[in-house]
Amino acid sequence: MRKLILPLLFFFLFVLESLFIQFLPAGLYDSKKILVPHFLIASILFLTIFGSEKNGIIYGLIFGLLFDVVNVEIIGIYLLLYPLVVYVVAKIMKILQANIFIASIVSLLGVSLVEIGAFEMYTIIHITSMDFMTFLKMRLVPTLLLNAGFIIIAVYPLKRLFEKYASLRME
Amino acid sequence: MPQFFLNKRLIVLLVSIIILVALIGFSLRERSQPSWPEQFVKDTAGWAQSLVSKPAQYVVGFFENLQDLQNTYQENKQLKTRVVKLAQLEAKVQQLQKDNKDLRGVLGEKKTLSDLKPLPATVIGRNPDRWNEIIIIDKGKINGIKQNMAVMTATGLIGKVKSVNQFSSTVQLLSAMDPKNRISAYVQGAANAYGLVEGYDSDKKLLLVKRIPYDTKLKKGQTVITSGLGGVFPSGLLIGKIVDVKPDQYGLNQTAYVKPGANFYDIQNVIVIQRLMTQADVSSLNNGKEEDL
Repeated sequence: MRKLILPLLFFFLFVLESLFIQFLPAGLYDSKKILVPHFLIASILFLTIFGSEKNGIIYGLIFGLLFDVVNVEIIGIYLLLYPLVVYVVAKIMKILQANIFIASIVSLLGVSLVEIGAFEMYTIIHITSMDFMTFLKMRLVPTLLLNAGFIIIAVYPLKRLFEKYASLRME
Repeated sequence: MPQFFLNKRLIVLLVSIIILVALIGFSLRERSQPSWPEQFVKDTAGWAQSLVSKPAQYVVGFFENLQDLQNTYQENKQLKTRVVKLAQLEAKVQQLQKDNKDLRGVLGEKKTLSDLKPLPATVIGRNPDRWNEIIIIDKGKINGIKQNMAVMTATGLIGKVKSVNQFSSTVQLLSAMDPKNRISAYVQGAANAYGLVEGYDSDKKLLLVKRIPYDTKLKKGQTVITSGLGGVFPSGLLIGKIVDVKPDQYGLNQTAYVKPGANFYDIQNVIVIQRLMTQADVSSLNNGKEEDL
């Protein structure tokens, strides 16, 4: 049962992202700002920071693929971005110490990397024609605010969970 | 040994980039249907999503009902005045329908482009990264859904079926930027006013109906509907109302900015429209290069 906790948690977050977009109050949603929930990758980044890097990359690959197949219908975008960001964050965390404050900032950085990476990839394959400044104002800043909210709420429980999980694996 | 590890890492990187590009190319090409592993994953995820999404819809629906109760008195007043007009309109429509049927009988033309069969469906998910505007609905191939069918809400057209799995399908909204997403449209009350819905202005939240002949007189507030001439959608589905008209780049055509009748943001229940008139074989029309709906 313990082994199933992490996959179930991440799958729940995966569904939550889609539900969040579906039921966001229309007034908030219809305005010029676009809010994108990145709860899944933020949590995977916490797993990388407080748990193990290897697990983080594996979950990044699996859920990146799932996200691509189910939501995007173009395989390869989040399949690349999730593990790549996990890897970058793991490298950054080698120099920094893993306390709650730094972990939150680093995982917010990871979220912005995912968002910018997705924007660049969609620009290359002509899904979007937005220019970078519009992207910054319309998408990146509101998205980061939203995910900062999620990170502040979730960082402590997730830290407890992942540290417990890591210590269980040690035994 | 570090030299060797460096090379190994480089090779892994290169190979994964090649696989990645191949995968993206594979999924971007014209596909009539997703491959079976994709269908399996989508159906499984769709089933799990609907487990969470349907109860959530009840909860949200409950709160929306509470909100509705607050304005009941005002709305009731307004609606009463409209009901009176509606009764007149209904009588008129029935008469016209009967006339239409009789005249068609005289002509010997029984089928029309506007014949359709609605299939109701519930939205179980939506793409959270809002680049591709995609929603997932809970009806699939076993319910008779096919690719390229029109999808509506009660207030207007919202998109077309992009791909079909066994038990779920994905719908691409009109607001998605996809050059292949072209729908033949017609402006009601103007002569010769055929155009194509091509693109979406995400800043102004307006649809662009392009290629309307330059000499057509268009007014604000005119209604735009599907024409059915693309060969896939039935005719007469509401798209929206004209807000603004501009001549195109070379002055040969006009572009109408249309406020969509449907709200693309608050979608919970949709109707998938099956056209009953024989569909044109898209590939034979244009050698499979593009598709106009």
